[in-house]
Amino acid sequence: MRFRPLALAATLLVSLTATPLRAADFSVTISQGVDVDTLSPLRTTNTPTFNVVGQIYEQLGYPDGPGKMVPQLATSWKRLGPNLFEFKLRKNVKFSNGDPMTSDDVRFSVEKIKDPAYRSTQGPYVREIVKIETPDPYTVRFTTATPQALFPGTRQRLYIVDAKYWRAHDNAYLETNPIGTGPYVIKSWHKDESVELDVNPNYWGPQPAVKHVVFKPIPDAASRVAALRTNETDIITNVPPQYVSTLVSGRTTDMASVKSVRILYIAFNTLQPGPQQNKLVRQALNYALDVPSIIKNVLGGRAYPVPSVIPTNFFGFDPHAAAYTHDVAKSKSLLAKAGYPDGKGIDLVLQSPNGRYNRDKEICEAVAGQLALVGVHVTVKTNEWTNYTTEIAKKQVGPMFMLGWGITNYDADGVVTGILTSDAPNSAWVNPEFDKTVFAARAELDTRKRQALYAKAQAIAHEDAPWLFLFQFEDLYAVSKRISWQPRGDESIDVKLIKPR
Amino acid sequence: MLAFLLRRLAGSLAVLAGVAAVVFFILHLTGDPAAIMVAPDATKDEIAAFRHAQGFDRPLVVQFVSYAGGLLHGDIGKSLRHETPALALVLERLPATMELAFFALGVMLLVAVPAGVVSAIKPNSAVDWIVRVFALVGQSAPTYWIGLMLILLFGVGLGWLPVSGIGGLRHLILPGLTLGFFSAAKIMRLTRASMLETLGTDYLRTAAAKGLAPVRVIVNHALRNAWLPIVTAVGIEFGTLLSGAIITENIFAWPGIGRLAVQGVLDRDFPVVEGVVLMTATIFVLINVLVDVTYAALDPRIRYE
Repeated sequence: MRFRPLALAATLLVSLTATPLRAADFSVTISQGVDVDTLSPLRTTNTPTFNVVGQIYEQLGYPDGPGKMVPQLATSWKRLGPNLFEFKLRKNVKFSNGDPMTSDDVRFSVEKIKDPAYRSTQGPYVREIVKIETPDPYTVRFTTATPQALFPGTRQRLYIVDAKYWRAHDNAYLETNPIGTGPYVIKSWHKDESVELDVNPNYWGPQPAVKHVVFKPIPDAASRVAALRTNETDIITNVPPQYVSTLVSGRTTDMASVKSVRILYIAFNTLQPGPQQNKLVRQALNYALDVPSIIKNVLGGRAYPVPSVIPTNFFGFDPHAAAYTHDVAKSKSLLAKAGYPDGKGIDLVLQSPNGRYNRDKEICEAVAGQLALVGVHVTVKTNEWTNYTTEIAKKQVGPMFMLGWGITNYDADGVVTGILTSDAPNSAWVNPEFDKTVFAARAELDTRKRQALYAKAQAIAHEDAPWLFLFQFEDLYAVSKRISWQPRGDESIDVKLIKPR
Repeated sequence: MLAFLLRRLAGSLAVLAGVAAVVFFILHLTGDPAAIMVAPDATKDEIAAFRHAQGFDRPLVVQFVSYAGGLLHGDIGKSLRHETPALALVLERLPATMELAFFALGVMLLVAVPAGVVSAIKPNSAVDWIVRVFALVGQSAPTYWIGLMLILLFGVGLGWLPVSGIGGLRHLILPGLTLGFFSAAKIMRLTRASMLETLGTDYLRTAAAKGLAPVRVIVNHALRNAWLPIVTAVGIEFGTLLSGAIITENIFAWPGIGRLAVQGVLDRDFPVVEGVVLMTATIFVLINVLVDVTYAALDPRIRYE
């Protein structure tokens, strides 16, 4: 037999490339739209940033569905009184530099957020906590100013940092040099290019399958899709619906989706003069709307109608709550009753963000088109995001404005007190009875009574119609076929749960 | 010449001071970012407290004085989003943008200029036709579309080149071509026009009549005179490229100052935007001086007193 070097080389090459991936090498690349803004877990409120620092740092526990908490650094928690809460910490947990994690670290983390000099943006996350006690290294007690149904410190993300390490370094250093208790440690951060993490060999929990993870931001959605198709990345976020069919039929790509915690709605600014101050008009416009048709035609079916002010997968949502249906005749008769027969005399501006939410402007245009069918004239105006939110907080945006709201604790409280109560920063509606009901719910310790209070609140909101009720998004991700991973509705990505397929 | 340079540089400082003031006021008049920085369910009081901690509640003039004072010390302040010095963020991104800009400059000088010359020598030939079509497409097709087409063809379709991020020559080709395409088209047209004009002059006819080789006629006589407008255009174009190719950097996830600027504007990260604008202005001013100096070298009739 003749020696054939070429064939031999080819065989070698094939066998080399075909070698199954060794577990020690399993590496995953994740592409979100933006880079992290900091690696300090106590400053940001930005979900893509949480998705990176959340691999390095851990919380006491995190919400995982209505009324469900997954323990992380705390092993148990109990209520000692209406205002007093106790957390028992996991023992033998070490930060990646070897420092033990104790109650002092929890106290430090909360105090650091509250320290005005640190200029954290997370102040509202811990606002209820007025006192922190640490009777022993593994016990923390939070006191709140008023009785609270929800445990403080779990309402929003609260990551625990190493007090000793933080006291030893200045803030600028801590922005880029994270030390946490989590399953991953920082390897490098090249801004706008990549954040690379390696597995933490001393992690207290089971060792993850992914040994190395790269967060590589790609701002443009079409480019994210291309990068996944060329195997430059393994998970991409915020996939526009028009790419779904390409990605599903791809040889190496697949879709993953989940019902989001984020709801989208169009609020009426009832503080500004105009026909939207009339309840009958607000009800009429809700009856004029065909939400399923918008979902089907604008979002390719990738959303879920929400009949009330509370997302359907949250504690407090009442499945029996009354809902508006598409009923043009009823809409017209309500308009006539309100003094606007055939919608004559109603000329409203619908303020819309532009590109903040999936197809936001297009949704507003569809809404305007549907309202035109009952004779109501609506003009869509797009807004630049920063200005928009600032003006909404000043209650200056109206008479109608679109906003999305996502809160990760799967509890009605975070929704209604953020966007509906009259003192809420994003609310433009006043209903004292609604306020009274949801504030009572916040302090109600009996779960069944609390549920009943939210049912009542939903009935009030249905009747008074502060919004055009729209839907909850479906979050669309695309993933490489070489990995197995389930997305979560709160937009967080837990790398330690990713497995090779 | 030296006196001229000094005068120009002094004038440049005045220009930069003006730019610094204008960008400061325009940015601040668009409102501060307190409401988007702090957690979305923050109350009015919490937003106000944050605004106070950041110093946004001070009168604009007071903020300007402290900003201008910092500038005189070479300090443009800390990024609001990253809590690190804004100048460092800009300088960190500059090499990536330079890499891209130099690649595009290479395309301009090595492809566009020769193509423009050839197309001028043989007007209405097949080469001329191709060059003109390229120039037309390059000038009229949006960068975004060209970038995506290149990605689909060479990245997704053929699998030859990576489509996102930075790292070596392979990563540079697609964004470099995308960025270079528009500028190259412009330079191609300009070279062609400038050459056509020069080729029709009497002294070139003389040069050809006295029996010079055609190559020497074109290179030594025609191109030398046609250079001036081309150099000006290339200089300004290069300044534009260096100031951050916003769209190209976004499509190809290229970590340059264009992307930094966009994110800075979206976040109202004042010091970062001010840093990018000042850096860009400085580059523009320097390139202008450089173009003037190049003039003198190219055309012996131009002398600066």
